[in-house]
Amino acid sequence: MDLAEFRAALDLWLDEHDAELAPGAGETMDEEMAHLATVKRLAFDAGWMRWGWPERVGGLGGSTLLRGYLGEALTARGLVEPGLYSLTEVLAPTMIDYARPELAAEMVPRLLRGDETWCQGFSEPGTGSNLAALACAATRVDDGWSVSGQKVWTSLAQYAQRCVLLTRTGGPDSAHRGITALFVDMDSPGITVRPIETMHGREEFCEVFFDDVLVPGDRTLGGEGQGWAVAMDLLPFERSTALWHRGAHLHRSLETLLQAADPGTLRPDEVGEAFQQLFALRARSRATQHRMAAGDRLGPETSVDKILLATLEQQVFDLALDGLTDEVLLGDDPDAERWRSRYLYSRSATIYGGSAEIQRNIVARRLLDLGPDR
Amino acid sequence: MMDAEERELFAKGIQHATASRSGADLDAALADLGWKDALATDPATTVATLFEHQGAAATTSSALDVVLADALQVDLDGSTGMLLPPLGSTAPPAALVDGVLSVRGLSTSGLATRARALVVSDDAGGTTAHVVDVASLDVRSVRGIDPGLGLVEVTGTAVPHVDAVAATEGWPGAVAAGQRALAHELVGVSRTMLRLAREHALDRVQFDRPIAGFQAVRHRLAESFVAIEAADAAAGAACDDGTPLTAALAKAVAGRSARTVARHAQQVLAGIGFTTEHPLHLSIRRALVLDHLLGASRSLTGSLGADLLRDRRLPNLLPL
Repeated sequence: MDLAEFRAALDLWLDEHDAELAPGAGETMDEEMAHLATVKRLAFDAGWMRWGWPERVGGLGGSTLLRGYLGEALTARGLVEPGLYSLTEVLAPTMIDYARPELAAEMVPRLLRGDETWCQGFSEPGTGSNLAALACAATRVDDGWSVSGQKVWTSLAQYAQRCVLLTRTGGPDSAHRGITALFVDMDSPGITVRPIETMHGREEFCEVFFDDVLVPGDRTLGGEGQGWAVAMDLLPFERSTALWHRGAHLHRSLETLLQAADPGTLRPDEVGEAFQQLFALRARSRATQHRMAAGDRLGPETSVDKILLATLEQQVFDLALDGLTDEVLLGDDPDAERWRSRYLYSRSATIYGGSAEIQRNIVARRLLDLGPDR
Repeated sequence: MMDAEERELFAKGIQHATASRSGADLDAALADLGWKDALATDPATTVATLFEHQGAAATTSSALDVVLADALQVDLDGSTGMLLPPLGSTAPPAALVDGVLSVRGLSTSGLATRARALVVSDDAGGTTAHVVDVASLDVRSVRGIDPGLGLVEVTGTAVPHVDAVAATEGWPGAVAAGQRALAHELVGVSRTMLRLAREHALDRVQFDRPIAGFQAVRHRLAESFVAIEAADAAAGAACDDGTPLTAALAKAVAGRSARTVARHAQQVLAGIGFTTEHPLHLSIRRALVLDHLLGASRSLTGSLGADLLRDRRLPNLLPL
């Protein structure tokens, strides 16, 4: 199936199934997660969600551009929230590349179909930007690993059945060499999840505690000590298809804002600049999508995409505060709550997924070759 | 379309020509490279390659004349130049009222050596392209902030003319083609500014280490790199898309990006970058003027925003 064919057929299907796919009035996390699962199941059962994924994990093959377009279409129509939806784009490729083939074949379809939610256990209280310093320990036991430690900022952990977890398996000074990635069942004894309420009023991420949690050896992703490679391969996915979807979300947000704001509240030069930067982001992100589809290995150059996205996200929602001041600051109806929540969430765009400073460090070190910074 | 090998060969030729020549000399070298044929077969690659290198070398040619005329489907011979709108404007550089042609615009230095000029005018029925004798125009050379660009200011009242193309709908397309070329040229200018700042940051030692080791400096350079990559992607996408809307978007992004890069590069280069002993000032001058040719980033942004606020809809651009 080529992209043009996919696009036309998918658009038709989305038109026909609009009522089933539309989000309900409910705005809680529970309702939103249930709705996301519904959309993924319907899209999977109709085949859409399977295109662009390899056949050996339940996909139908075809270009990765197909899944790029699927997420774009769902986001542009307001059927899914891209932050929740696109976790699939980050975690499924990791499983496909690093899990045992049988494990990937068993698990990935559950994620694609929305039967399961997965989370990504990377950050720790003492390890944010400096990922190589992580401490959550996995020690060898008879038939696998025993994990003890803590993770934080783990998105959707309270809903997740599985976790892609980075652990320390080398000595304390082993840095990036002593990290191993594990695929952990979240119902394993010894795991405690504590959701954290964010400023934008959601329990989107959690603290996760591991207390002698047994993980079978065949749940190791890659080999022992390959966790750094797993992480480095995963992070560019946060800045490719997921960003393409987020760009579609910003397009929708800016357009909705133009329709909702009172005339005269928005400055033409600021609106014009936001749309120009949206165009530049889309051009850049589109090129990244095409490189990925051509089989290129994505790397540090995706930090450029992330910087553009984060900057634009704040630009768009700064405009929302200007254009819908009363709603964002004083409104209590669901529409106002949504704008307020999105405005506040946009403040995190330069923090999550590698802060603005870290992205610039990557550009300076890896793309401009400026040498060490200390 | 050129294949990869042809593209590389063409780029090498262009790079060599732009690095060492300018003005009529560069025009001759470009003619030897067959750039007009390349423009016909693969416009996107040709425009991107030529104008980015021209910007990077801060050199000049009359290629922009050819790009505009080409979009008007006029084949400019060597003895005909092209008139651009006045600074900051995208309107035709002439007006035709009751058969009387008055001209106010800019052109490249090459105009002085040409016998004729192609002039597009606004008139009641639309736009018309005319051929006029350069001798009938008042051509004044402009030094201004960027003497190296060699612009000339052109005015004329009751200019004798013949219609070259009876009535052309092509002016917006010509402006768009020019904006795409200038966007690429601004990307080239910006790349040179960043290269100069980067080299300085690695060479200049203070507090016993290269200043490239200081995060404040690194982040300025990173910021510049991101601005350039965004402008480059936008310019390339505008060439794929081919409409006036995306050309204006790309031109505005490139102009703003060049000014961002100029600010950061000048700060990183500090004292030496403020002198004429270092080449940075040449690129800064070029960036400022190019930003204002065929629509300045500031005015393009304001008018785009006004359109969007009026329509309350965003165009859907760049399908995957």
